[in-house]
Amino acid sequence: MKPLSLSALAVLGAVSRSVRYGFDIMDATGLPSGTVYPVLGRLERDGYVRSKWESHAVAQREKRPPRRYYEITAAGSRALATSVEHYRTLGERLGLVTRKPSAG
Amino acid sequence: MMDRELSADARALYERCRRIVRTVRMLVPERRRDDWTNEWIGELWYRVALLDRSHPIDRYKANRLILRTLGAFPHALWTLTDEWRLDPMLQDLKYALRGILKRPLFAALVIATLSLGIGANSAMFSIVNSVLIKPLPYDRPDELVYMYGSFSQNDRASVSPPDFLDYRSRNSVFSSLAARTIFGSAVLSGDEEPERVRASIASSNFFATLGVEPYRGRVFSAEEENGGSDVAIISYGLWQRRYAGDANIIGKSIAVDGRPHTVIGIMPPVLDRTMDVQVWRPIPFNTPETSVRRFHFLRLVGRLKLGVTIPQAQRHMDDIAGTLAASYAENESWHLALVPYREAVIGSVGPVLFILLGAVGLVLLIACGNVASLLLARASARSGEMAVRTALGAGRGRLVRQLLTESVVLGLVSGVVGIVLAHYLLAGVRAVGDGLLPRLAEVEMDGVALAFTIVVSLATSLVFGAVPALHAVRPDLAATMKSLGKTSATRAGAYTRDALVVAQVALSFVLLIGAGLLVRSLWELQHVETGFDPSRLLTAEVSLPATRYRTRQEVDRFWTQLLDRVRTIPGVESAAATTLLPLRGGGDTYFYIEGQPPASDAEKMNATISTVTDGYFATMRIPVVAGRVFERTDRGDGAGVTVINQGLARRLFANASPIGKRLVVDFGKPFVAEIVGVVADVRIYGQASNAPDLMYFFNDQPAAGFGTGTMNLALRVRGDPSRFVSPLRDVLRTLEPDVPLSSPQAMADILSESVSGERFRTQLLAGFAAVALLLAVVGLYGMLAYAVTQRSREMGIRIALGARPAAVFRLVIRQGMVLVMIGVLLGVGGALATTRFLTSQLFAVAPTDPTVFAGVALALTLAGLAACVVPARRATRADPILALRQE
Repeated sequence: MKPLSLSALAVLGAVSRSVRYGFDIMDATGLPSGTVYPVLGRLERDGYVRSKWESHAVAQREKRPPRRYYEITAAGSRALATSVEHYRTLGERLGLVTRKPSAG
Repeated sequence: MMDRELSADARALYERCRRIVRTVRMLVPERRRDDWTNEWIGELWYRVALLDRSHPIDRYKANRLILRTLGAFPHALWTLTDEWRLDPMLQDLKYALRGILKRPLFAALVIATLSLGIGANSAMFSIVNSVLIKPLPYDRPDELVYMYGSFSQNDRASVSPPDFLDYRSRNSVFSSLAARTIFGSAVLSGDEEPERVRASIASSNFFATLGVEPYRGRVFSAEEENGGSDVAIISYGLWQRRYAGDANIIGKSIAVDGRPHTVIGIMPPVLDRTMDVQVWRPIPFNTPETSVRRFHFLRLVGRLKLGVTIPQAQRHMDDIAGTLAASYAENESWHLALVPYREAVIGSVGPVLFILLGAVGLVLLIACGNVASLLLARASARSGEMAVRTALGAGRGRLVRQLLTESVVLGLVSGVVGIVLAHYLLAGVRAVGDGLLPRLAEVEMDGVALAFTIVVSLATSLVFGAVPALHAVRPDLAATMKSLGKTSATRAGAYTRDALVVAQVALSFVLLIGAGLLVRSLWELQHVETGFDPSRLLTAEVSLPATRYRTRQEVDRFWTQLLDRVRTIPGVESAAATTLLPLRGGGDTYFYIEGQPPASDAEKMNATISTVTDGYFATMRIPVVAGRVFERTDRGDGAGVTVINQGLARRLFANASPIGKRLVVDFGKPFVAEIVGVVADVRIYGQASNAPDLMYFFNDQPAAGFGTGTMNLALRVRGDPSRFVSPLRDVLRTLEPDVPLSSPQAMADILSESVSGERFRTQLLAGFAAVALLLAVVGLYGMLAYAVTQRSREMGIRIALGARPAAVFRLVIRQGMVLVMIGVLLGVGGALATTRFLTSQLFAVAPTDPTVFAGVALALTLAGLAACVVPARRATRADPILALRQE
């Protein structure tokens, strides 16, 4: 599997930390909207996140249109872990990160 | 917490963002559009409502929200491209692009070849469209009719002012009938450097007839036709250039020909593009010169009444001409010749342009053939790929479609490059085409030309793409699969490639013949005996203001003084002046041999006249055939004398000597002149026309000739004529500071310019033919080189079996030259069938000129041979070991 791009990694990371709405993800990652939405689209296409619409009842109670939110899937979690590992290894190889010695 | 309406501020912010989203949403594929929109709207509302909690709204955050909303645009684009992944046609496109990018050199070659062809076609079409097809930029131009005065069948003379007034008042077919002069100039003086500009006098209704409104000010009033009103209308160009767009020019006075004129109007720029006139003045219809029916100098423009046709109008005007002839003896046989205004503007350039358009069409066909060969060769290299894809289940239709997509992409890219190329080509044509092409200033690439280019690009890609596409998916799948990895040309592919080479050779042969004929014709034209020696000859025009030089004596005294001073300029060998310089206009008049007046008008004889100063024949080096030329003793008070040219002498007196015979010449009054000499013929009107019958008169005899207020100087100098322009100007300034020296030019340049039209079209056609030849030779070379690669195994085996390299060499050469020969033979047929369209453009060369045909055949054969040599030599180096190992 190809590792996720860095922006995809950031977005997927945010979603995995329950940052669920598009604009909130932008705030969390600092990425512009023109990047975040295409990345979300790609992640959804590849099955790493799924999107849902919040219930009409909630929206109606607050007199506003419903918002779309994103959740990470199992495949997404795996991809996230693999990619994080990939970049960490890369960092080590380049001497940018040092792995803490494992206990024992 | 959010259950309240938004404040007005927040509402406005929300609306702004929503507008952005609603604009961009059109980009989103329909299937996803609602979801896409709702997601943005949901987030935006939520955020606006958050901001609305503090009052007033945080401006910084509001702006950030708007910026963030702009991200909807890339988001929409992404959904669009994401959707494309699923579209088969776009997959083809992607595949095609990938295929092209994988072989950038191949693609560059194809695009270069095609864009050359497409660009040339696009440029040529733009010219044809702008010059021939687009309507004239006047109001309802189809109603406009141009009128020449006409004496015999087809001459294109002018109309006299009294005749015009009668035609205007008596006709009932034109809603408006106007007149103007077409040759004329005026000197602007005053604050600026004196300057000669093109000027015209026109009837008051001239602009209204064309339907042209003044840009500023007004046009002439009917009263201003009565003379005495010194008013002028200037062109937009002159206003911008000489008067720097002075907003208050209307009502100001400018000096035209030394007299103050009030500027009453400025014409719109459109008139600059269609008429080369900078100053307009009204025709004064009540002066002595404008009351004579014999003085023809106006051209008429009429706007037909609704429903009247030109033949009807012609009959009607002929009736009026008949009535006029019955009343005035000098009107006998004179009538008007009506032609559509368009035709008068465009002239005879139509056939030339269509010939050139046909020629670039051929170039494009050759380019197509070339690219088809290239693609064909590549297609057989890719036959393996195609077979594998077919075996994997790709439908034939799908494969053809994919290959065609590649062609269309190549075609369209070439089209875009071609448009850029055409843009520069047109700029070039505008730069050099001045005076060679009517409506030149209107030549541009417009929507029609762009549409033409796109259609041509698409058609082109189908033409060059179809053959290889159909070939690539031929049905013998099994055979192809079997031969995968080996290289052997299939016969069908080879035949098609051969045919393409033959077609290219034949087409370029036709083009080369056309170019060859024009080149030969131009050469003949440039080597015509002109009758005088144009080398080291400087010419210039000087025009005296009639206000200060009233009598012929005053005028002639000026010329004598001027020439005396000019002759003292160091390096000037001799100098003279004439009213009629070769290649610069002229006039003619009636005459008869003394004692033999014409019995009727039909027997009237006329000849071109030229009034010259002392030393003219010596300066021009026009040989004296018999008798003598003018001498200072031929004074105004002495007997009238004339010198005639050989052609006229032969016409009048056959082989008898004309010396001592007397002619009666009509200069308003009869003038009796004794013929004192005969000089050689001079081609006054250019190399392409015959020398006219010519009578020379001496400017010291004031009764002879018409006004000498405007004369052409001729200086025979030592060295480069252009070095004498400024000394000449200085000499003129010492005599007359306000009179400009107009169009100083070396005679050799004038001669060269007189065939510039011919040279221009010859160079264009020769250029096209050169491109065609290059393409054909490259095509032939490519085909042979490819065939040799394909047959390298066979060649190797031949060599292994004992064939000598020379035999292999001959084999390849023969293969190529057979095609060249067939192409040349077909080309001869094609050329014989088409060169007759060139007949009207040829001078002293037959359209089937054997020298040109033989020369082109030889040149093309040699070029073909050269293209064969390299592949043939490569074939002799085929390695027999390698060939045998493959078996």
